[in-house]
Amino acid sequence: MDQFFNVVALGMLLGGTYALVSVGLNLIFGVIRIVNFSQGEFLMLGMYGAYLGYSTMGLDPYAGAFIVVPALTLLGMVVYWLVMRPLQNEPMMQVFASFGLLLLIQNVVLAITGGVGMSMNTPFSQVTLTIAGVQFSATRLIILLAALVAAGGLGLFLAKTNFGQAIRAVAQDRMAAQLMGINVERTFMWSFGIGTGLAGLAGVLLTPIYTLSPQIGGNFVMAAFAVVVLGGLGSVLGALVGGFIVGLTEAFAGYYIDPELKHAVIFIVFIAVLLIKPSGLFGQAGAEEVGLREQS
Amino acid sequence: MSNLDLAQSGALGDSRLAGRRGAAEVWTVANELPTFFAVVAAIGLAVYLLSNQFFYLNLLTMALLFGGLAVSWNIIGGFGGQFSIAHSVFFAIGAYTAGNLYKHFGVSPWIAILPAMLLSAAVAAIVSWPVFRLRGPFFAIATMALTEVAIAFAMHWKAVTGGASGLTIPYRAGLENMIFQQRWAYAALFLGYLAVTLLTSIVILRSRLGYYLQAVRDNDKAAEASGIPIMWTKLKGMAISAALTGIGGVFFMMYVRIVEPAGLLSLFDVGVKIPLIALIGGISTIYGPLLGALILVPLDHWLRAFMGSAVPGGNLIVLGLILVLGSLFMKKGVAGALRQVYRAWSRQQ
Amino acid sequence: MSAIQLGVEGVTKRFGGLTAVNDVSFALGQGDILSLIGPNGAGKTTLFNLLTGQLAATAGKVFFDGADITHYRPNQRARLGLGRTFQISQTLTSLSVLENAMIGAFLHHPRIADAADKAYAALERVGLASRAKEEAGHLTLGERRRLEVARALGLEPRLLLLDEVMAGLNQTEVARIVDLVLALNASGQTIIVIEHNLKVVRTFSKRVLVLDRGKMIADGGADSVLQDPVVVEAYVGKKKQ
Repeated sequence: MDQFFNVVALGMLLGGTYALVSVGLNLIFGVIRIVNFSQGEFLMLGMYGAYLGYSTMGLDPYAGAFIVVPALTLLGMVVYWLVMRPLQNEPMMQVFASFGLLLLIQNVVLAITGGVGMSMNTPFSQVTLTIAGVQFSATRLIILLAALVAAGGLGLFLAKTNFGQAIRAVAQDRMAAQLMGINVERTFMWSFGIGTGLAGLAGVLLTPIYTLSPQIGGNFVMAAFAVVVLGGLGSVLGALVGGFIVGLTEAFAGYYIDPELKHAVIFIVFIAVLLIKPSGLFGQAGAEEVGLREQS
Repeated sequence: MSNLDLAQSGALGDSRLAGRRGAAEVWTVANELPTFFAVVAAIGLAVYLLSNQFFYLNLLTMALLFGGLAVSWNIIGGFGGQFSIAHSVFFAIGAYTAGNLYKHFGVSPWIAILPAMLLSAAVAAIVSWPVFRLRGPFFAIATMALTEVAIAFAMHWKAVTGGASGLTIPYRAGLENMIFQQRWAYAALFLGYLAVTLLTSIVILRSRLGYYLQAVRDNDKAAEASGIPIMWTKLKGMAISAALTGIGGVFFMMYVRIVEPAGLLSLFDVGVKIPLIALIGGISTIYGPLLGALILVPLDHWLRAFMGSAVPGGNLIVLGLILVLGSLFMKKGVAGALRQVYRAWSRQQ
Repeated sequence: MSAIQLGVEGVTKRFGGLTAVNDVSFALGQGDILSLIGPNGAGKTTLFNLLTGQLAATAGKVFFDGADITHYRPNQRARLGLGRTFQISQTLTSLSVLENAMIGAFLHHPRIADAADKAYAALERVGLASRAKEEAGHLTLGERRRLEVARALGLEPRLLLLDEVMAGLNQTEVARIVDLVLALNASGQTIIVIEHNLKVVRTFSKRVLVLDRGKMIADGGADSVLQDPVVVEAYVGKKKQ
């Protein structure tokens, strides 16, 4: 029974991680309706960026975030403008291109670092808190908090600020938003950038926990997609709730069934959601069928 | 034509007026056959000429394999517009079916082709049915997930796949074993595979199914309003594509005689590579994927050798770059570019 | 009175709080030609979508040739003989003009040569036969509209629904399509047109159906309906007191 709570705790913490990774993906997906297969690579870049700050300037990763995240936001905006924007009406080419980016980014880092695994220790790395007899690692707790703050912040931003509302308008109806004078292209560019920036933030926060490797993005991309589908396109709350559900599922599957099969379980959850409620828990109905072709 | 003429033509589409005019304006399978035979003959000649140059012969053999796989993928990926990254799963199913039937039951791989096809088609149909209602990108994600699951199962199911250490076939030469002493025989085998996939591709493209797949790809609303059963069409295309891919797996198993899950199901070496080849070559044409394979397989090989350990992952950097630039500037692939050149040239005549 | 072909009974469509089509009922006989008019947003296209199956009705029934097709998918309805065109032409741009028409013809003619012949005949009816081998993407708006009609004709439809097939066309093109529609009807085709151009409506129809905010507010002969004060008010708005 003791173990049960530990598994739950692990699940919640994992969930926080997935939620943080997915919030950005959800934004890109929900607003621009692009599947960004390279999202995991921005996470990886966040990790390496933090490491760079640490190894060259002795910057604690949490501090390094203030440089890394804006840098990755900018990079995302550039990528959007150069690669995604010209392919707006070609969904299949977008898939190809984002895969190409995945290969490119991952292997450039591989080439530069020579495939050496690196890890970082921060003051928080080894700290664990014990609450009600259950162990929580501090670094994972921080991620959980960050996920909640990021989701909350994004939600507020979307609801209360002018720009946020512009983003929501564009997400709902491109044509109408354009007629209202909103610059759709720039809105997309910023949305993409914010999405990749959030992925970078997730990466930075994950550095105390995981060993760095160029392929690490792939570990999270799959789960992130499952979260986005589960939570529903374009719903920030959905990304949060979805993240926790996936995290808990993975924790329970890993403990009670077989750690090797956890991907299988995620896929099954994914399919189940598609069959039962394809728009996800909080998404707009029919969103998954709108895809990229129609915006009317 | 005046109102009166139209009214007098009676019930809709009086074919006496049209005669066989329409049929003269479309290509049928017969129209495609000359090119098909020419291509197969040309490659056959290349096999013959290279029969003693083992290095180039091996490259050609692998190019023919990936050409066939890409042509098979193109049926659902290019004509049908369903971007599947999961074809490596059908490839693996083919390989493991042949491998296990041969190793544990002494069944000839030639006979194993049938169950390999059926199993691949069945798995394809079952797995894609729930996800076909999703538009493109969602479908791609789902196929990616499927690949992950397949890897997990393959690693786990050691009885069938040998787990991480892989499945090995002992060497016992003989036509009935599909194991050859002469290397050129393998090249001929894969040429045969390519020919089968090309022919199937031609027959589908020049048939109702081919048109229906394209209509569903381009505009499923219009397609459905025209009486096309969307799900059924996609399933048919997927099943055929998967079955052909499975056959490729059978041949591959007998060529390399040792396979393991990470290699067979690798996203980058198989799953994404096949669509990449189709894209570069020309995604909705018959011969485009073959062209793509003839370009990319040697290129990839050369890149690996050239960059080697000096730049780890260098070959993938180049492939990634090709993918990005290709999708931006060369959507119709090499075949499409060639076609445009041809058209411009013939317009000048 | 010719046999009833299309029966619409109490058809309603709600999207959340919005009722787009509200309890519409009418019947159409074989060979009739009906104009469906109403101000923008009245629910005309939504009604079409309910008839051809792109949308599922929240309530009510649709009967075709006596069969209850309320829950049939669009392709099943096409098989039974309902053909339609869309407000925004859905041309398949990667195919040729002839191939676009063949997509419809394939339904009843699975063999490629037969489908090509039927499609060619349909192209002749709409006056596009000379463009058969061209890429469909190169056609003008008016030509795409006609191509879509040709594709629908390939289905050998018993009922043809045309959604604003004349919108955005110049006078010559409009006249051309009017001729086409009249010719089709003269050869026995049952037709429903959504139209904004009231002059055209008068040319076609003996019968006009008016929708306003989802409700059917008039159903009758063209002359009487178009002069009905309720109808005029719906278009022009309430007169100032």
